[in-house]
Amino acid sequence: MKYSEIDVAVIGSGPAGMAAAIKAKEEGAEHVLIFERQEQLGGLLSQCIHNGFGLLYFGQDLTGPEYGHRFAEKVRDLRIEVMLETMVTQISADRKLTAVNSHEGTIHMQPKSIVLAMGCRERNRGQLSIPGTRPAGIFTAGTAQRLVNIEGFIPGKKVIILGSGDIGMIMARRLTLEGVEVKAVVEILPYVGGLIRNEVQCLHDFHIPLLLEHTVTQIHGEQRVEAVTIAKVDKNKMPIDDYKQHIECDTLLLSVGLIPENELSRMAGVALDPLTGGPVVDQRRETNVSGIFAGGNVVHVHDLVDEVSWEAEIAGTSAARFAGKEEMEKEKKIILKPGRNIRCIVPQTISPQHDVTLYARVKDMEENITLKVGDIFSKSLRVVKPSEMLKIDLTYSQLGQLKDDAVELSIESVKRRQNG
Amino acid sequence: MEQVETEVLIIGGGVLGAAVARELSRYNADVTLVEKEADFGWGSTKANMCIVCQGGDALEFRPEYLRSRLVWESIPLMEPLCQELNVPFKRVGELALIRNNEELIKFHKLKSRAEKIGINSHKFIDQGTLRHMEPNITREAIAALYDPNIAIVDPVRLTIALIENAVQNGVKVMRETEVLGISQEANQFKVETNRGSMKCRFIVNAAGTSVDKIARLVNSDDFVLYPIRGYVGILDKNLGDLIKHEIHMRPDAPGQMNILTPSVHGNLFFGTTMQPARRGNCSTTGRIAEIGFQNVRKIVPDLSEKDMIHSFAGFLMFRNWELGWHECVVQDSRRIPRLINVCIGYPGVSAAPATAREVLDLLRKEGFTLEEKPHFNPIRKSSPIFRELSEREQKELFARNSRYGHVVCRCETVTEGEIVETISQGANTMDGVKFRTRAGMGRCQGGFCTPRVVKILARELGQPEGKITKKGRESRLLLYRSKELIEAKI
Amino acid sequence: MVEEKIVCIGCPLGCRTTLRISDRGEVIKVLGYKCNQGRQYILEEYRNPVRIFTTTVLTEKSSRSLLPVRTNRPILKSRLREATLTLVGVKAKPPVKVGRVILPDLLNSGVEVVATDDLFPDPTLPIKGEGEGGG
Repeated sequence: MKYSEIDVAVIGSGPAGMAAAIKAKEEGAEHVLIFERQEQLGGLLSQCIHNGFGLLYFGQDLTGPEYGHRFAEKVRDLRIEVMLETMVTQISADRKLTAVNSHEGTIHMQPKSIVLAMGCRERNRGQLSIPGTRPAGIFTAGTAQRLVNIEGFIPGKKVIILGSGDIGMIMARRLTLEGVEVKAVVEILPYVGGLIRNEVQCLHDFHIPLLLEHTVTQIHGEQRVEAVTIAKVDKNKMPIDDYKQHIECDTLLLSVGLIPENELSRMAGVALDPLTGGPVVDQRRETNVSGIFAGGNVVHVHDLVDEVSWEAEIAGTSAARFAGKEEMEKEKKIILKPGRNIRCIVPQTISPQHDVTLYARVKDMEENITLKVGDIFSKSLRVVKPSEMLKIDLTYSQLGQLKDDAVELSIESVKRRQNG
Repeated sequence: MEQVETEVLIIGGGVLGAAVARELSRYNADVTLVEKEADFGWGSTKANMCIVCQGGDALEFRPEYLRSRLVWESIPLMEPLCQELNVPFKRVGELALIRNNEELIKFHKLKSRAEKIGINSHKFIDQGTLRHMEPNITREAIAALYDPNIAIVDPVRLTIALIENAVQNGVKVMRETEVLGISQEANQFKVETNRGSMKCRFIVNAAGTSVDKIARLVNSDDFVLYPIRGYVGILDKNLGDLIKHEIHMRPDAPGQMNILTPSVHGNLFFGTTMQPARRGNCSTTGRIAEIGFQNVRKIVPDLSEKDMIHSFAGFLMFRNWELGWHECVVQDSRRIPRLINVCIGYPGVSAAPATAREVLDLLRKEGFTLEEKPHFNPIRKSSPIFRELSEREQKELFARNSRYGHVVCRCETVTEGEIVETISQGANTMDGVKFRTRAGMGRCQGGFCTPRVVKILARELGQPEGKITKKGRESRLLLYRSKELIEAKI
Repeated sequence: MVEEKIVCIGCPLGCRTTLRISDRGEVIKVLGYKCNQGRQYILEEYRNPVRIFTTTVLTEKSSRSLLPVRTNRPILKSRLREATLTLVGVKAKPPVKVGRVILPDLLNSGVEVVATDDLFPDPTLPIKGEGEGGG
């Protein structure tokens, strides 16, 4: 494949990148190329050896590698080109792309369209300012997952996990099954950061203590982690001195959040939404830079890999059409505004002329609420939580009722009627 | 280790010890440097704001104090030194922001006083020019005092380069070697270390935060040092273009500083709190970070906590609490012959070049004969840094070694070729690779590259991955192999 | 009579339910659920708590140190640790394709342990050819 002929270049070969590339090919793009910095297709799927993937997309309960395989096979069948162990180092607003690998050195190209599918990085100790020493034995949960599931190492035998995000809980189970004593999962909020399913199947199943409203206030150990101090926190998340515990351990795992990885996006002048950390996109998943599209965790952190692939397919379709120079009509743009208890919404702008699915996350947990989109949509929900993404399907006839250029998505408390 | 005999023993491989080693390597002498950590510059050298040529402190200069003289004399020496050693040096200049008339008058007084002792580099900048020089800073600044001399460096790289040049010219260095005892015998010292004993005639004690501890080993304690801990936050490279100069503002509370500066690698550093603390306690806390941000937002209002990628605390050893930073220890021990104690306190990196010369003068006075080496080579070549090369240079580098095409640290674009090279030059720990190549210093803080760097270290050192450490000694990263713990339970 | 607590995972509410169990092991009452599907899940989870088991096995003659595997059907939750111990001694040898049975019968349950990823031979090792030695 000549580099001058690339129709769609996809950056990342995880559940987003592969789905986008396959869809782009199916939608008519002739030359599709995927860049992957790791040694194999699948991105992080290879290290996610647990099940729970594909329940929606395939109707089956698959492990990460199995989910990845389904897509990787299709990538091969469709003859989509893949460059493994290749790092994209630069992209520009006019879609000039530079990549590096050890076979060809530096590679330049200017594909007709680009799909950003770089996923996320993990929030780490550097940003948390946890007081204490800087010993060996502190890892983010994802890095530990790679070490345990791919490289063949167990970081330590007495572990504390800070943060009850899904990755942290999954690792709690994984390490326990490898003979490690996971002494506690420590969560600063009053509720678990990930899915209930994981709370049950990773923590309850193995009797791993979950300390809610607690945080790590100090790390001990000069060469290697020797212990942590844990304290209960008050409503303002400040540690309460009287409720401190000193727990001996040799490893601290951090599962404290994911940040969409948008270095390349920034380089290309792609506008980012400070609420998601990812590009501002329309319902076609096009960014503000013409010909650059984005899908998956790079846009906003998803809960389910199925949704990542579906979203990336939208980006892939749009990229293929753009590359094919299909006429994309100038459509009216309606801006979605986060209202009460809404943290972020994707896509950030939509056209009223098409059915669309909106994704949103709330700021705080609330029970018995009504989810509203302006005056055109309303749904009662028993509970909303920051860890469970909301999905709202809107039809174009509903959207047709909108009069303004902006509409608010909000959570309203349902007032209970009193008897008598 | 068999008994080592040397003429001059330098204790401490931080920037001062390294500078002395390099200076001594100009002369015919048997010089050995010992460093207790696994790599050089891991004490105060790596934990500061990397600012040099601090003429700005010249406003507080007292020419009668040794420290001021050493910093002042180092100013013309630093840039040529960095050029000889091929390490980064960037002249950014400094702006001291002035918010009101009171500050303006104060600065006028300081400037006049400085001019009286021959310090003429400062210039007042008016609001319009300031706006033009630094469009992103606070609108509250009505003027600024500008010092064009101030520059930024990478102190650990500088230290390693000094060491490499010293070794190139005949100095011997030993890492993971800690001095445990010193005794006097006839015309020499007997030095006990964790790796055996050594004999030497002269000792240069440049042990940083342990200078007084080492001095006490031989009863040379005619000085006391006070540890002051400073906190530095590192901001994402995305913000690197927000300012061009080192900028500071008078702190609003005692025990604080308010400095925001670019770093040679494109990050921004900010400095906050300076407080007495128990030495060795390099902890950082959320509260200090908060104060830091409150302060630094007075310089650039748009900064947020989300922008911080890392933070650290470092120690400055002050000679005398009342005199603050005017005093330092660069002197022959009054009690023990042929022992020179060296401790600058602040700013150590800045004062290193002239301090090295001063130490040599002191050694001469103690009876050390300095015969110049005819073949001293001041030039130390730097290994290629992929991300800094032009496209053509990258191509040539790649053609020689395809490992320069394999990017291992994505945040800082560090290639396998560079990591392998640095290991061949002596890095043998994760932190060693980190400080020499920057792999692991980016926004993901090693999340992606750690497993890969471990593999490369293991391969290059011919060691199992389980033996690789973070910083030497007992700091192994990976304690067990897969299934090892379950097998133990069967 | 004993009480057992089960968290329902049917929806994000995660109702914390309590089951009252008679001395004969029969469920007398379920408390704390908010919908019928939840109640069904809880009863099923009490009677037959099963899980899909996923882990890795060691390999030999491959450039990969580990092969991820899974049970093709759920096994009893109470047997997870036993399952782990059983697989410790298993070593996968390439070539292996996704879905290949690594262990045909785990703990006499009839459940198969299958590979969830491919395993390729180590390219740096010499390949033993066919027809080496006698015909």
